Order: sequence, then structure tokens, then C-alpha cells
Amino acid sequence: MKLIVLFIFVLVASQSIAAQTQISGKVTDQKGNPLSGANIFLVGSYDGATSDTVGKFNFTTDLEGTQKLQISFISFEDVYLDMDVSVMQNLLVKLKQSISSLEQVVLSAGSMDASDNSKAAVLTPMDIVTTAGALGDAVGALQTLPGTSSNANDGRLFVRGGDTSETQVFIDGTRVFQPFLATANNTPTRGRNSPFVFKGVNFSTGGYSAEYGQALSSILNLETVDEPNEEEVNLQLMSVGGGAQFTKIWDKSSLIFNTSYFNLKPYQEIIKQQLNFSKPIQVLSGETVFTQKFKKGLLKTYAALSYTDFELTQEDINVPQGVLVGLKNRNSYLNTTYKGKLGNSWKVNGGISLSNDFTDTKQDVNRIKTNDNSLHAKLKLNKKFDNNFQVSYGVEQFVTRIKDKIAVPDQEIQNSTLDNNISAAFAEGKLRIGSKFVTKFGARASHAGIFSKTTLAPRFSLAHKTSEYGQLAFAYGDFYQNPQNAILKMEESLSPERASHFLLNYLYKKERQIFRAELFYKKYTDLIKFNGDQVITATDFRNSGNGNAKGLDLFWRDGKSIKNFEYWVSYSYLDTKRNFRNYPEAAAPPFATSHNFSLVTKYFISDWRTQVGATYNFSSGRSFTNPNTTGFLNDKTKSFNDLSINFAYLISQQKILFCSVSNVLGFNNVLDYQYANSPDANGIFNRRAITQPAKRFFFVGFFWTISENKQKNQLENL
Amino acid sequence: MKKIISIISLCLLVLSIKAQGNYEQGMQKAFGFWQENKIEEASNLFERIANAEKENWLPYYYVANVNITNSFRTKDRKIINAQLEKAQNNLNSATTYSANNPEIMVLQALLYTAQMMENPAALSQKLAPKIVKIYETAMAIAPENPRVNASYAEWKLGAARFFKEDTTPLCKDFEKSLLLFEKDKPTVPFGPTWGKERVEMLLKECNN
Repeated sequence: MKLIVLFIFVLVASQSIAAQTQISGKVTDQKGNPLSGANIFLVGSYDGATSDTVGKFNFTTDLEGTQKLQISFISFEDVYLDMDVSVMQNLLVKLKQSISSLEQVVLSAGSMDASDNSKAAVLTPMDIVTTAGALGDAVGALQTLPGTSSNANDGRLFVRGGDTSETQVFIDGTRVFQPFLATANNTPTRGRNSPFVFKGVNFSTGGYSAEYGQALSSILNLETVDEPNEEEVNLQLMSVGGGAQFTKIWDKSSLIFNTSYFNLKPYQEIIKQQLNFSKPIQVLSGETVFTQKFKKGLLKTYAALSYTDFELTQEDINVPQGVLVGLKNRNSYLNTTYKGKLGNSWKVNGGISLSNDFTDTKQDVNRIKTNDNSLHAKLKLNKKFDNNFQVSYGVEQFVTRIKDKIAVPDQEIQNSTLDNNISAAFAEGKLRIGSKFVTKFGARASHAGIFSKTTLAPRFSLAHKTSEYGQLAFAYGDFYQNPQNAILKMEESLSPERASHFLLNYLYKKERQIFRAELFYKKYTDLIKFNGDQVITATDFRNSGNGNAKGLDLFWRDGKSIKNFEYWVSYSYLDTKRNFRNYPEAAAPPFATSHNFSLVTKYFISDWRTQVGATYNFSSGRSFTNPNTTGFLNDKTKSFNDLSINFAYLISQQKILFCSVSNVLGFNNVLDYQYANSPDANGIFNRRAITQPAKRFFFVGFFWTISENKQKNQLENL
Repeated sequence: MKKIISIISLCLLVLSIKAQGNYEQGMQKAFGFWQENKIEEASNLFERIANAEKENWLPYYYVANVNITNSFRTKDRKIINAQLEKAQNNLNSATTYSANNPEIMVLQALLYTAQMMENPAALSQKLAPKIVKIYETAMAIAPENPRVNASYAEWKLGAARFFKEDTTPLCKDFEKSLLLFEKDKPTVPFGPTWGKERVEMLLKECNN
């Protein structure tokens, strides 16, 4: 009984003895506008309140002495006040708007991503497979972005007046030495890699990080998937072939394997082609991605094999019966990368890639066999000092050995070997100053073994947030690249070619609307020049060429204004001249067209479960030399137009039917002219128009996903 | 001496009862706010309880629950994203103190569903397989949990409607969920009990 009385006494006492202190104040934003709904409380206790409609709060506490008062409000930064509870009265708390990663200022100059969660993202990974006209080729989709010149007779990337050799392709940061399938002259190629094993693409049209070198104009980095979503089998049946992809997942690891076979023969028998194939193009390929998770890191291995062959008689105005061209290509590629944490805010990122490429080319009666073995190894370390400052540095090594065997009738077989090795080191710091500025500065040193020359290339970029959704960025950099292997095979005592980039970028991104504008100036020096019509017979190679490119890129994407409708528009203006190779004077090369325009649209019709897409491409005329008048690159083709459409129909959750047609309107595009070597009786040089292999390209595909889980849907492949 | 010990132990007992009382009072008050549709007050109070209790998963769970549920009624994308970010942080904390909890998994799946609403045609590619994987895992752990059953069935309903497929087989799933709700008893005080009304409503649609 006594104890019970005592118990009640203690209970009552504990309530009343403790002094009750009142805590009060007002919460506002930086401008003094009251914030209603903020959470104000003493850390570790139950004591707290929510601010009312005028931002005021008021509560009592039993706690005494110095305490920590926390004030938080959704999308504002938390504020902590350490003070004695007795003075926590009539507090005036100003909160600062917090910046989510998507609102942070980023180094956007030159950079365009296809990813889910990057601010520089202008495309989603899915856009790669759903863009009409791209036919599942990542590079095809990137050609709808500004800064690229579409060259329908090539298919590779031409960036801001640079030729295709100035763009380097990487997978998970390691170099891909032969990213494109081998094709015949004037027929477009496509990337060797299937878009279904990549989760993101980073495409830079200039001013890129010191981590990357040996590219005068542009880099393209493809990221393989870290972790597939689920086990499944995908089957693809297409008008030009078939394929299958298998995915297996274990506790800490996963494996994706795919294989496909394309043969254009049946197709070419139905649809008449301009080209006379005696053996239509066939491609057999396979890829695999293996991932293994460790406690503090992720190991990925990507491997790809492909085999291509074809044979055709190429029309030639100087050879009435045409020229026989045949090609067999076998390519193997393997890379292994590891990224992980080392503790103490250190991160490591390393990788090695190996490639072997064998090409057997038949041209008329001559045969060339080329065997290219290449290696790239890279190690990068990153240390984050705090949220505002981090440093990366690393080393890398490229090794290339190319063996050629040239057989010309009645001549001795020529064997030659080229070794082209490059060592490089880079360092870069990234600094955030407040919430409105970010800068990256660094340099790259590179030593080319072939001619024993060392270069040092500075890189700098800066971005400033100008408004809630807008930002301005600037980038500068020097870029060095060894002359192309075809030239080094002829002459080794040369120097690297050089380009300097200056970029000014404005980016506005709000919800699902993006506006991007970029002004650029690129200066080329030390470009290779030679005398002669073709590299293999040329003489007098020197680094005496130069050039420049300037222009404006515009991009607008909107997925918000109209329901289920998404579109983007790109326009690039390019003004370029260069004096390189065997040019007698500075001129705009044929591949560098002045105006490029793309409009990509996608509309999802929910009632029909169908996505309809259309892509329109325009580029102004390509330059060519007309020998009937005087001058060099003195004439231009008519402009290029193409409208491609596609349909994707979801038959069920597991099945999808895909159809596409390129150049629906049947524009008769002339890409170039070939002139006769000598004039006819009237003194006129005759010419032959080089057009697309066929006016239209039709594609039908059926994709079927088989997974244990019936809920898996084919939207993924839409 | 004996007396001192009893007084001290009494004081300790009182303090612990008081702390317990705080938790119960706080939780009840927060549920009250929630019922009165005072969303911010409810979320804030659950947050304060989470902060004071530290290693209890439930208040974190409810902060996430309030914010996810509310996001379905919010229009402004920026606010939705902020709510979902808050919900995700709290789900992460809840998971830290209670791993492999099917109740938390249901909320994670609902959070991804809310994210997907921004642009279903584009985002379902990334999120739909994740959502399904979470439900499958939760079903494997707790095949008799009514909320796991009901939420998964409702997700399937959405997919079937999208693909214009027959939705009647799913009515069986809702019936099963309803039976499970009848037997549903929280394993911890203030444990989740929500979801029955929604299933009843969906079943009504089945019978129409």
C-alpha cells in the first residue's frame, strides 16, 4: 500500500516538478514568406509542433539546458539550433530551399546523355530503340541530336565538322577499337552493339573531361547494365533475321547472353536495290554481359563477337563492267571493368579492353588482309574531400599492332606491321562554389611511342545556375589525336593532330521540357596533309594542315504539353573550312553540311496499345568537285530529306509487333557524284549520281518475352 | 536501503511507463491528425516520434505511408517528388530497423507506382519490373499478408486494364485478400491494418 502511494506520488511529481518551458517562433523562407507545415522539434524528444498558416509555432517542453532544435520542411534544407531552451522564444527561422540532384548545377557544355537520372539527359535509354529511322542503333538515335551531321551513305558519327575518325567510342570507359560493322562504300553501317545490354549513353560533342583523349571532336561512352531486372528469354523474329537474348540472375551475379543473325538476301530479292550484290550482307553476332557484386564494388565483363561478309559489283563510271568488292570481317572484343569504394572517400575505377579484328578485302583482283590487335588499360582513382571538392586522376595505356598482307597479281606479297602505342596520365579537380557554381579543371599528358612525342592538354569547364531551371556553362580544352593508322602505315615520323574547343552552353530543364543551346568554336592545327589521290599511293606526309569549325546547336524537347505525345527538335548550323589531306585549299568537306535539322515524334495511342513514331531529317547539300567548272569542292548536291515512321503494337503483355519504313515519301536523295576521269567528245566530264541503296527500307519484327513472371511486360521494348 | 532501492526502481519504472505513454499518446495523436486529414501534422508527428524512438521501424513506416498516400492526391510534380523523396528516406530507415519486412515492401512498391505515374508509358520500362519483383518477394515471405495480396492484385488490375485484358480472374485475388483481412491482426502495437476498405470497393466493381 505504502509503495503504491509512493508510486502515485512519483508519477504525479514527475509530471509537475519538471519545469515547463515554452518554445515559440516563426518559420519563413529566405524572402520572409511564412511557411506553414514545417516540423519543429527538440531532437531526441517528443516535444515539437507544426507551423501554422502564418508560419508560427508554439510548444512546451520538460527538457532543460542546451538542446538541439530541428526545423525541417519538405523541399527545404534542415536547420538546427543549439541553444538553451530558456531562450527559445520568438525565434525567427529562415529556411533555404534545398536543391535536389536534378536541380543542381552541372557541367553541361558539350555533354548530352541518354539516361534516366542525369541532368544532362536529353534522351532516355528507351529513346534509342524507339526513334523512328534509327532501327535500334544507338548511333542512329544520336544522329537526331544537334552537333551531328547526318551522312546517309556512312551511318557513323560526324561531329561539328570533324570526320568519323575524330569520334571515339567507349564501353564502361574502356575503348572500343572497331565500334561499327564493316560495310561497302556508300552503304550506311551501324553499331556492333545491341542496345538491349546498355542502360545509358553519354555523348559529348566537345570540351570533354581529361579522362578522355585520342579524339579530336567527340566521345561516346556506353554503359552496360549493372543489374538486370529479371530472368527472361527474349526472342526476336525479323524480316532481315532473328535473335534471342537470355538473362540469368543469381544472388550476387548476373549473366546476359544474346545472339543474332541478319541476312539481307531474302529482303533484297523482294525489294530492288541500286547495288548489285552477288553475296548480300550477312552478320552473325553475339554478346554477353556478366556482373558480379562484391561488398564494396562491382565487376563487369562485356564480350562481343561478330562476323560479317558480303560481295558486290560496285558501279564505277570509269569501269563499265563495275568493280568487284568483297569483304569478310571477324571482330572479337572483351572488356572487364571494376568500380568500387576503397574507404576514406576514395573510389577506384579500372578496366581493360582487348580487341582483335580481322578483315579480308577483295577489290577487283587485289586482296588485302588486315589483322588488328589492340588493348586499352585504364586505372582511375577518385577522392572526395567533402561535398564540394573532389579530385580524380589516373593512367592509361593503348597498345595497337596492325599486320597487313597485300597481294597484287604479278607482284610480290607485301607484309607490313604497324605498332602504335600511347601512354597517358590525367588529373582533374571538381569544385562546387555555393549552390550556383561548379567548375572542373585538369590536364592530360600523353606520350605517343610511334614518333616519341609528348603532349600536354589542359581542360577547363565552368557552369553557373542562372535561375531555378536555367544554367549557363562554358568549356575549353585542347585535344590531341595520333594520325589515322592508314596514314601511319605510310609515314611514321609525324606528330599528333590537334584541336582546341571553346563552348558556351545554355540549358533550361523543367519537368519534361528541355531547351539547350550551344555556341561552339573549334580550331584545328597540325592536321595531316599529303600529295596524291589516295593515301596508299601518296607522298610527302606533313602536319601542315589546319582548319576551324564554328556554329550553333539548338535542341528542344517537350513531353509535357500534349498527353502521350513526346517530341524533340534539333537544329545545327555549322560553318567550317579545313585544309587537310590532299586539299589544294581550305574548303568545307562533303560530310560537313551547313544546316542539319531533325524532328522526332512519338505518340502513344492507349486505346490501341500502339506507339506511333515519325522522324524527319533534313540536311543541306554536300559539297563535291565539279570538273566541268574550275575550282575545288565548287558545287553542292541538293539537300537531303527523309521521313521515317514506325509502329509498335503491343499484342499482349509479352508480345510486341514492330514495323518501320524509312523515307516514306520517297525523296530521291543524291549523296554525291562520281565524275569520269576524262571528258567525253564534247569536252564534258560525265557523272554518276550516288544515291541510297534503295529508296525505302521496310522492317517488320516480332518480339516475344518469355519470363516466369507473367506480369513482365513488353513496354520495355516499346 | 531497501526503501531507496525501491524508490529508485519505482522512478525508473515511472520513467519507462512515461516514455511508453509518450509513444502511445504520440502515435494515437498522429493517427488522429491523419484521420482529420491534417496530413502535414500527421507526417510531422510521426517524424518526431521516429526521431525520438530511433530504432523503431513503425513511425518511419507511417511517415512514408502518409506521404505516399498523399502524393497520389497531389498534382504539382515538384511537390510529389519532394514527398516521395521524403517517403523513400523514411522507408530506408524503416528497412534498417526491420529488414525483409513485407509491410515495408508494399510501401516501396506503391512508392515506385507513384513515381511511374509521372509518365507511365516511358517509366514503366524501368519501374514495372522492379515493382513486380518487390511484390513477388513479399508474396514469398508473407503469402497470407492481406496488404501484400491486395496491393499486388491491384497492380495486376492496372496492368490488365492497360492491356485491355480480362480483369475478372483478379476478382478471386481480391476475395482472397478480403478473407485475409478478416483474419488480419497486427503483430505489434500500431502495426499496419489498412487496406480493407479499398479491397471492398474493388470487389464492388467486380460484381458490377
